[in-house]
Amino acid sequence: MLQLDKVRKVFPAAPEPYVALDGVDLEVADGEILCLLGPSGCGKSTLLNVLAGFERPSAGSVSCRGAPVRGAGRDRVMFFQDAGSALFPWLNVEENVRFGLRVRKVPKAQWAGIIDNYLRMVDLDRHRNKFPAQLSGGMRQRLQIARALAVEPAVLLMDEPFAALDALTRRRMHAVLLEIWQRTGKTIVFVTHDIAEAITLGDRIGIMSAGPCSIISKIIDLDLPRPRDLADPAVARLFNDIERLLAPDIARAEERAAH
Amino acid sequence: MRNFAAVPGRGVLLTAGSIAIAFLSWQVLSTFIFNPFLIPPPLEVIRTAIPMILSGEILADVSISMSRVLVGFAFGSLAAIVFGVLLGRLQLLHDLLDPIIELMRYLSPTAMIPIAVIWFGIGELSKYFLIFWGTFFIVLVNTIAGVWRAPIARQRAAECLGANQLQIFVLVVIPSAAPYIVTGMRVAMASSFMSIIPAEILAADSGIGYLLQKSSMLLQTNRIFVALLTICLLGFVFDRIFRFLVARTLARFMSFVAVT
Ligand SMILES: Nc1ncnc2c1ncn2[C@@H]1O[C@H](COP(=O)(O)OP(=O)(O)O)[C@@H](O)[C@H]1O
Ligand SMILES: [Mg+2]
Repeated sequence: MLQLDKVRKVFPAAPEPYVALDGVDLEVADGEILCLLGPSGCGKSTLLNVLAGFERPSAGSVSCRGAPVRGAGRDRVMFFQDAGSALFPWLNVEENVRFGLRVRKVPKAQWAGIIDNYLRMVDLDRHRNKFPAQLSGGMRQRLQIARALAVEPAVLLMDEPFAALDALTRRRMHAVLLEIWQRTGKTIVFVTHDIAEAITLGDRIGIMSAGPCSIISKIIDLDLPRPRDLADPAVARLFNDIERLLAPDIARAEERAAH
Repeated sequence: MRNFAAVPGRGVLLTAGSIAIAFLSWQVLSTFIFNPFLIPPPLEVIRTAIPMILSGEILADVSISMSRVLVGFAFGSLAAIVFGVLLGRLQLLHDLLDPIIELMRYLSPTAMIPIAVIWFGIGELSKYFLIFWGTFFIVLVNTIAGVWRAPIARQRAAECLGANQLQIFVLVVIPSAAPYIVTGMRVAMASSFMSIIPAEILAADSGIGYLLQKSSMLLQTNRIFVALLTICLLGFVFDRIFRFLVARTLARFMSFVAVT
């Protein structure tokens, strides 16, 4: 589905260019949830921006279903952590979802049905006349999900979408996302710096090393049935393994941030 | 005992109280302490104002000044918004023109009066021009800032949803900039009220500024105070009207200013 081949990303910076990604290889299969896990500043967002087509790689190639990615494509939709700025605050819930249908020229006759369907899926149909500012953080993220699903993309690219939510709301969002994923079979690339979140959601977890020159250092297959309970010994062991794996990189990232 | 902050109509009460106290102290000060010719007491001012209102004299001056403000403000805002969204979007054009704008914005409308008189005479055109001038730079700078601050995430979200560049610009960037544009317009409106007065003092034969100038020449301090009060009242009323109109027509674009 998605393929990254030796992707390098260099940002112009003073005193010398900053190498964010240095040879990232990745393959994302149809219908899987791949979590990208790494310390903050390691280049997760950069990688996602490259996948989305917002940023061109400095070297290497990106393709989606065999076709090279040259820009934002209609088959890949990005989710942002800050829903407040990603949503259209002057449009109400229903109009936010309608935006994509309008610009994609979906026939008007289908709008009502599509909007109803997805608003119901994220449990926002009772709030369709509210504006984003009137919604809670979790509701705003659900609106982002509904708005994206409405244009029927094959891939969801999610950049720490639930990081700013409180723990309970985040758990609820995980359940919502997994349910939608089971129903729709979307391919999801989910970026997070939270090990528990990666374990809860992922089919596989890609571990990224601290920047500069970040790569995907390891890919972990999760052969555990969902829902996954952190109290379960197998899950807990995995959690500890990943934590140990990440520790040196987190230390490295911290050191760099302290400069 | 009830908290005073919770009393309904508290704002109105306070405003009325504040004005009443000001008038009272003014009356006392100008009667007993200051020379009433230099600072005429409020009752005297009101006595002067009534015939000026009844004869329609004030109204004529007010309407001519207001029409100058409105015409200059409308065209100035319009030009600044069109120009501003382009400059906000076209980096090269912006970088090219920004130094000039940065220098020119220090030329206040007042500084432009002498040349405006030479260019446009003392008729309406010179006043339109001066108000236009003052409005233009304020709204322009705010519009550019608003376009720049349109969140990148919002533009990218729109792109993912299938919007093309023109749609992103019209349907996302400009609405995102709306609060900045409106704020700029409000500041420009206030500044127009300030610049119309010197413009009319120096280069007009009608309007509130001209009334001030004429009364000053004739040492009619009562009439000067009537004109000054009129300016206060007009500025206040216009700002309220502007806010009311914005709230009525643009509420959905303004409501999110507090939200990130
Ligand atoms: N446009 C840019 N210009 C320069 N440096 C950038 C740019 N975008 C990101 N970076 C740098 O690249 C590194 C990775 O950033 P990012 O992908 O946002 O990390 P993450 O999402 O993992 O926290 C950071 O050190 C950041 O400073
Ligand atoms: Mg990030």
